[in-house]
Amino acid sequence: MAGVLVLVEHTSGAVDELSLQAVALARQVAAGAPLAALLVGDGGSKAAAQLGPHGVASALVAEDERLAAYAPGAWARCVSDLIDRLDPAAVVAAGTNRGNEVLGHVAARRDLPFAANCVSVSSEAPLTLTRVRWGGSLLEESRVHGPLALLSSAPHMVAAGGLNGAAAPAVESFAPAVDEADLIVQVAEHVDTVATGVSLAEAKVVVSGGRGVGSAEGFGMLEELALLLDAAVGCSRVVTSAGWRPHTDQVGQTGTKVSPDLYIACGISGATQHIAGCKGAKKILAINADAEAPIFASADFAVIGDLTEIVPAITAELRRARSQ
Amino acid sequence: MDLVRLGKPSDRTGDVPRRARNEATIVLGQRKLFQRLGPGLMHAAIFWGFVVLFPTIVIAMIGAVSRDATLPWLGHQGWFALLVDVFAVLVLLGVLAAVWIRKVQRPARFEGSHLGEADVILAMIAGIVTTLVLWHAARIALGLSEWPAGWSPVANALSGFFGDGTATEVLERVFVWAHVLIILGFLAYLPHSKHLHIVTAAFNVYFGRTGPAGRLEPLNFESEDEDDLRFGAGTVPDLTWKQTMDAFSCTECGRCQDVCPAWNTGKDLSPKLLIMGIRDQVFAEGPKLLRDVAGFEPSPLVPNAVPDTSVWDCVTCGACVQECPVSIEHVDHIVDLRRHLVMVESRFPTEAEPMLRDIERASNPWGKAQTERADWAEKLGVRILEPGEPAPEVLYWVGCAASFDERARTAAESTARVLQAAGVDFAILGPRESCTGDPARRMGNEYLFQGHAEQNVSTLNEAGVTKIVASCPHCFNTLGNEYPDFGGAYEVVHHTEMIAELVREGRVKPRNDERSITYHDSCYLARHNDVRSDPRELVAAVGEPVEMERSGKRTFCCGAGGAHMWMEERGGAINEERAREAAETGAETLAVACPFCTVMLDDGVRARGDALRVVDVSTLIAESLEGDGDG
Amino acid sequence: MRILVCVKRVPLTGGRMVLTEDEQAIETRHLGFTISPHEECGVEEAVRLVEQHGGDVTVLTLGPAEAEEQLRDALATGADRGVLLLTGGEEWDPQATAAAIVAAIEAERAAGGDYDLIVFGNESADSGNYQVGIRVAHALGRPIATGLKGLSIEDGRARCEQEVNGGRDVYRVPLPAVVSVLEGINLPRYPSVPAKLRARKKPIERITPERPEARLEKLRLVLPPGQGKRAEILGRGPDAAPAVVDVMRALGVA
Repeated sequence: MAGVLVLVEHTSGAVDELSLQAVALARQVAAGAPLAALLVGDGGSKAAAQLGPHGVASALVAEDERLAAYAPGAWARCVSDLIDRLDPAAVVAAGTNRGNEVLGHVAARRDLPFAANCVSVSSEAPLTLTRVRWGGSLLEESRVHGPLALLSSAPHMVAAGGLNGAAAPAVESFAPAVDEADLIVQVAEHVDTVATGVSLAEAKVVVSGGRGVGSAEGFGMLEELALLLDAAVGCSRVVTSAGWRPHTDQVGQTGTKVSPDLYIACGISGATQHIAGCKGAKKILAINADAEAPIFASADFAVIGDLTEIVPAITAELRRARSQ
Repeated sequence: MDLVRLGKPSDRTGDVPRRARNEATIVLGQRKLFQRLGPGLMHAAIFWGFVVLFPTIVIAMIGAVSRDATLPWLGHQGWFALLVDVFAVLVLLGVLAAVWIRKVQRPARFEGSHLGEADVILAMIAGIVTTLVLWHAARIALGLSEWPAGWSPVANALSGFFGDGTATEVLERVFVWAHVLIILGFLAYLPHSKHLHIVTAAFNVYFGRTGPAGRLEPLNFESEDEDDLRFGAGTVPDLTWKQTMDAFSCTECGRCQDVCPAWNTGKDLSPKLLIMGIRDQVFAEGPKLLRDVAGFEPSPLVPNAVPDTSVWDCVTCGACVQECPVSIEHVDHIVDLRRHLVMVESRFPTEAEPMLRDIERASNPWGKAQTERADWAEKLGVRILEPGEPAPEVLYWVGCAASFDERARTAAESTARVLQAAGVDFAILGPRESCTGDPARRMGNEYLFQGHAEQNVSTLNEAGVTKIVASCPHCFNTLGNEYPDFGGAYEVVHHTEMIAELVREGRVKPRNDERSITYHDSCYLARHNDVRSDPRELVAAVGEPVEMERSGKRTFCCGAGGAHMWMEERGGAINEERAREAAETGAETLAVACPFCTVMLDDGVRARGDALRVVDVSTLIAESLEGDGDG
Repeated sequence: MRILVCVKRVPLTGGRMVLTEDEQAIETRHLGFTISPHEECGVEEAVRLVEQHGGDVTVLTLGPAEAEEQLRDALATGADRGVLLLTGGEEWDPQATAAAIVAAIEAERAAGGDYDLIVFGNESADSGNYQVGIRVAHALGRPIATGLKGLSIEDGRARCEQEVNGGRDVYRVPLPAVVSVLEGINLPRYPSVPAKLRARKKPIERITPERPEARLEKLRLVLPPGQGKRAEILGRGPDAAPAVVDVMRALGVA
């Protein structure tokens, strides 16, 4: 085995959680062969040092002032240069927007197959892998044909794990051969959005409503509960189609994918495309009048009944319990 | 006439016997007016008076010109003179009654009507009959009356006040000319007031609907030329001639407004104001359209004649159409306005959009997978008809609500159990049963509806289905009354009709435990389709029935019709209003026969905190069969 | 401006997945179909741009004959013509799909037609491969910005907005370019019936591309484990509130 290259994303000098999961997937493929990590941008060296316990032997940090603002083509160039240099059997990234985008570019440039959102991979060529379809509601077993496989890890579906006593990786910086064409698509400016309340993607608790809430006004009781729990309010797709909540509140395969500690689904029947958005939650509590609703097959806890009675009751009970 | 002729076509020529019967009972017999006894009598007196007194107009005109002349034959018939006297008095009494109703009683239904016009007309009518009788009295005093003496008691009595001298001669001329002039003034005033109905009402009733009340007239989408296609009523030129005639026939009586569930819960919609609004716009724009004024663009009916809220507040319950004494078809107007808004302008309440998209793509308004449609049936071992299999004796059309809504589902389970207990050979279509299209049609998306109608008819015809039982009155109405327009001719019964027959035949034997039950008539069952007695038989078989005041044909909607199951409601809740009425009967059970009524009234009862159990009639029967050895 | 939108026909799966016996596909008997959600917004976005800037929209799909239904929906929204790359119903891997699309575009360029903007959905709802748009862009030598929630055309450039943590990143990409969009970039219109009737007559070109060997070869589909999990019922109605709060406390969120 020629080893595996992992694209590791980092923020403010710390490795992103999802990239640690990607490293774990890379270990599956490598099966003992050396892992090399690629980090791009400022803070890369600092982040690289954290990769030792995850089995990374060497970390290559791409340095070029033109890499300050994200440009998928430039990142793909970094990957491509390292492929030429290291001749890995596979390149792995996290299945984040950027990870998938960068590997997509690499795949296109080098005419390589790319399997996005994998949950497990074999270590023998031709690689067979299991990847996610329908946002997680279905799995696909596939085989990759070619000398080099590009793989991204399905977020929150591969366990990141540390190895005890592994040494810190050898860190080396390099200058990728980025050219003008690689920088045509580059972030030109960043616009901050005014933070209103808890962000859906970051919230520890999400209180979410579906068709059963009945109207835009009906969300009032969910907002009240959310306020008490410091939670974000989410909704299902039919709610945004009905015009009751904006798309930014939508949880689902084509909306925001959330991973709170607790996801409370009120009046949501549980269509697969919604479950795809909330299955990252540690625990799901479903409140629905229909005992046969599919959501109960994906939920950890259930309360059966009318949400317009139950949600205010929970709010009241919470207040009562806290005042004691 | 020209304005009516401006209207788009509407086929109103069929079924002449029925039309003649309508004319006889509604116009001559004043049947609809008698739905309210007091005002009915008042109007009948005036109307019949007009009919009887009509020849006196001719007599008066002859007499005005030539003092000694009169109508041949009729002018000499004593019985006619008697009729004239009697009806003149009746008319006057009618006018007095009308004045009392309008000025003293002041019913709420007149809110929004032009009361001033009525005052003028009543004064004129009073003037007409008064001058008539006084003229007769004067003629009798002068010895000019051609009618045999003694046949006009009132005129005779009044004639005592007149001498036979010149004063009377002058008065006789004055009275007859006053009479004629008031009549002419009346005729001149007619077209500019709601009293146009005097001319149009008889025609409007004749050309009224004769088909099933629950059936809407389909639109034709087949024409290659886009200009030939009509997508409902957007502007005045889009109105059919019947719709224009409807607008001209409105008497502003407000009976429709009185029974409208939307109006009665504080919403904008008044069927009366809607028709008046359309009428006003026809009068405002019609003349310009007739003259083909260059560059004149008719303005949209919604919101100029009718506000958007009024169009969408309607639940298509048909109470207005039922009340209307002159056969105005308000629901047809509203659906036509909706058709244009939905199909051409895409301008409709956003919350209904998922429902329309779901019917189109997922074949049911809940957007759930059709594969899950028969989940409820599996546990009961209900037969699902697969393609190619022979058709059962009866196809049970479950409907989307009972398939996907947990509260409506119990009715399907109960109906299946009862049919099984009775040994009926039935099956369901399962995933092949797609929405009948009723919500889409009532919403105004006729195109989407027709696509589904054709698809369902194809499925049913291929399967060789001849008889269908439906537990949803909307499905029942559409399958039975509307699918024939698309090649689907089946015997369609409602589940209460079928179960009632099974009870009568002794195939199921429910037990009566005397609990008090009040039965809510669904609009689509009781009013649109006259199914009222069978559900009552079933209720009486299991408990002690107690009726609400607004029951039978005069039932009050639950609020879900007209696609309102998927739309938000502004203002007071129709379902809570009905729940209140049910609770006030003191019954412990509220029996329903419709999945929408089940959900709406259950919501209403819960919102009010009433101790009422809302349950489908089939469930009451099924429960009473439980533990029954011979099924 | 000339815009090409690429769409895919996907089933509406409902509350559960059922596989065909050969485990190669989802059982779609009785299921409804739609244009994949991100792409539906792509069609709307393209039509809006052309309404604003003039031009025309072509909608293309690789799929079975039934995919014409999705093309007609896009035509009803306002696209002007359709292209159907016909398959026999089998699934094509992303490289093959991209190659077929590129071949169709190249054929049009050879005949004198070209596109200023090509719009993809970021990923299809079913296979979610995240790469067809990027491959097509590279093959055509054009820049691509992905995952867009905002798009406008200014001075021959596409102003592209991506949602990231804390705000939006903006790219300015010169035309001709390729973009992939996300649902939420707009709210697709509800097409009028006259538009639907006209859509029935709009031209659809049918091409049957050659299917290359799959480089990402699908072996079989599998339902994820843990389906049919049964939730612990905490109670019925408002009486369950105390039990719910207990759970919240145990999870450390209350």
